[in-house]
Amino acid sequence: MPEISYREAVRDALTRAMREDDDVFVLGEDIAEMGGSMGVTQGMVDEFGPERVRNTPISEMALAGAAIGAAIQGMRPVAEIMYEDFLTLATEQIVNQAAKHRYMSGGQVTVPVTFRTQGGSGWSPGAQHAQQLEAWFVHIPGLKVVFASTPTDVRGLLWSAIYDDNPVVFFEHRTLYGIKEEVPEELEPIPIGKARVHREGEDVTVIATGRLVHEALAAATEAEQSGVSVEVVDPRTLQPLDEEALIDSVKKTNRCVVAHEAVTRMGFGAEVAAVIQYGAFDWLDAPVERVGARFTPLPFAPIMEEWCVPHANDVLAAINRTVGRNGN
Amino acid sequence: MATEIKLPRLGQGMEAGTIVKWLKSEGERVEKGEPLYELDTDKVTQEVEADASGVLLRIAVAEGEVPVGETIAVIGEQGEEVSVPSPEPAQKRAADEEADQSAEKPARAPAREDERERGREASTEGVTEIRPGARNGRGRIKASPLARRIARERGIELADVAGTGPDGRVVAEDVERAAASGPPVTAPVAMPARAEAASEEVQVEQLGSMRKTIARRLTEAWQAPVFQLGVTVDMERAQAVRAKLVELHGDGAKPTLSDLLTKVCAVALMRHRPINALYRGDTIELHPSANVGIAVAVPNGLVVPVIRSAERLTVAEIANARAVLVERARSGKLQQGDLDGGTFTISNLGMFGIERFIAVLNPPQAAILAVGSVEDKVVAVDGQPAVRPRMELTLTCDHRAVDGATGAQFLTTVKQFLEEPGLAL
Repeated sequence: MPEISYREAVRDALTRAMREDDDVFVLGEDIAEMGGSMGVTQGMVDEFGPERVRNTPISEMALAGAAIGAAIQGMRPVAEIMYEDFLTLATEQIVNQAAKHRYMSGGQVTVPVTFRTQGGSGWSPGAQHAQQLEAWFVHIPGLKVVFASTPTDVRGLLWSAIYDDNPVVFFEHRTLYGIKEEVPEELEPIPIGKARVHREGEDVTVIATGRLVHEALAAATEAEQSGVSVEVVDPRTLQPLDEEALIDSVKKTNRCVVAHEAVTRMGFGAEVAAVIQYGAFDWLDAPVERVGARFTPLPFAPIMEEWCVPHANDVLAAINRTVGRNGN
Repeated sequence: MATEIKLPRLGQGMEAGTIVKWLKSEGERVEKGEPLYELDTDKVTQEVEADASGVLLRIAVAEGEVPVGETIAVIGEQGEEVSVPSPEPAQKRAADEEADQSAEKPARAPAREDERERGREASTEGVTEIRPGARNGRGRIKASPLARRIARERGIELADVAGTGPDGRVVAEDVERAAASGPPVTAPVAMPARAEAASEEVQVEQLGSMRKTIARRLTEAWQAPVFQLGVTVDMERAQAVRAKLVELHGDGAKPTLSDLLTKVCAVALMRHRPINALYRGDTIELHPSANVGIAVAVPNGLVVPVIRSAERLTVAEIANARAVLVERARSGKLQQGDLDGGTFTISNLGMFGIERFIAVLNPPQAAILAVGSVEDKVVAVDGQPAVRPRMELTLTCDHRAVDGATGAQFLTTVKQFLEEPGLAL
């Protein structure tokens, strides 16, 4: 049971898949000798060579297109988009091409490509290097979307993403790369579309993604001090969504908080809130609370950045509102 | 808002059903999914579950035949007005008497106009418990969906509950508290009186609908000109195969000799299509797959659920299908679809130690197989006495559809397959 970081877990999934399967390769900007700007692919070029750990020109559109083309031809490419902010440059390829070919060819063509990317606040990256854009891609039929929050999950889900026959946009969070966890020696694939209950509770369900899973767990520990029992559920896969698991949890607790780092407006939490109000309407004892970033480009100044994005105390405040505490 | 309960279509071709009896009385509380009434269709009597929760406000048809889709009852809130009349005067009288005994007499006259006047909320599910007076005095009551549901289920007036949530919203906890302190609100449950028969007296039992169905169908069957054919089968190899299947069965149902027999008969039926037939008077239908009915004893009767296309299933799959059907049969949960479409029937009384018997035809099927117990017998093997496990099979055939030679060929094939199971591959 080695302890590995989230970063190492991503690398482990890539390395194992590439060792087992010649069809799997990685491509991206500065991912070979430099090991990627987040160090995820560190050392991989030494083992697999520059053909399978390919540096690309600084053009997300070109590298996404190359990955999609290779996928259509039968490879299982994993393209690294350095910052998810730069997904904007590749949306034509991902949204109009990757997501559509299987459908428009009547199933004659599959596009088993994975787009790995990362983002998030917490280190003053500024407005153009910290966005959380997962909701954009959940909105596109034909794509699967994963957002893993722990080393075990990121490893098992990346494996499943690589071997899924559909394009998967795979979100990682910048501030999670350093977190460590014991993982099994064997890589156990985690099925796409299955939520994970991190902590069981009775009074309120917090449905959280990415960094906010950890903030929600901290908030749950805090809430327990005042006698509020919190269940924390991470959908892990945003598309397809494990609606049943989320609804079942809220039917048990009767209250729901949705938490993510992306802005609240039109965020993934809006969709979850709709799913919950429809699926668990007669079980709700309070309105579904949403926790997310303020609706503003992210400032550089650390103190302002911290004010803009949600933390454990914001989740706790929402928990307390659902149970009618603190007079809110 | 009240839900009208309509007679469901439980199987293809079902146009009507006969309501045997109601399991709930008017005024009684019903939960969605609870058995509500007993319904008799051509082949099965089953308990039908309520598809809404609330108070059974009205039984519109007490018993008798009803076309599919007709309203037979109304479920709604205590005190809610019902627009569906009780059509039969006798039934209405009975309902009135019952209503007099209950704490709250359900309102009678249809009052759509009043309901409309009460506004949008009044016609929305869950808000009917707001009395017009309360609403006019205090405006719309703020309550969480959960609180509304609990109030609805327990017959609590939300207007009487003090809300402690944000802005005075009534939350579940408030309703629970009110329920704990308030008087019981459910109507008394009417217990059916049952005459206790003294042991020395003749006990008279009314025919239940299942017995009536059995009586009617078997009387019909008795009119068919039938003949029987019998064989004795050496079961040593079949038992060995079954033992191996049991060893390998894993998570599925444990395969029985009956399951093996179902499989073997299905394969034999495919080789002898004239047996896999339905006699229709002017025509004989030869069916393309073996839908094998298995006779299952249930309390007070028997039913014959069908394992479809058994020739295409493995013995393990047959065992799983059989386990599900038998469980449904014993718990009275069989659906019409479980009973339709049989092309052949197996009746096995071997487990009761019966060595041989003659089964009565199951029309319109052309044949039925009666299966006896496996018994160790002394038989001559190569001119020497030997002890072998033997089983008797008796095939009853409808002579209008099947002749002796045809039946004999089929039965011989079944015997061969059981004695040399590899031949059934």
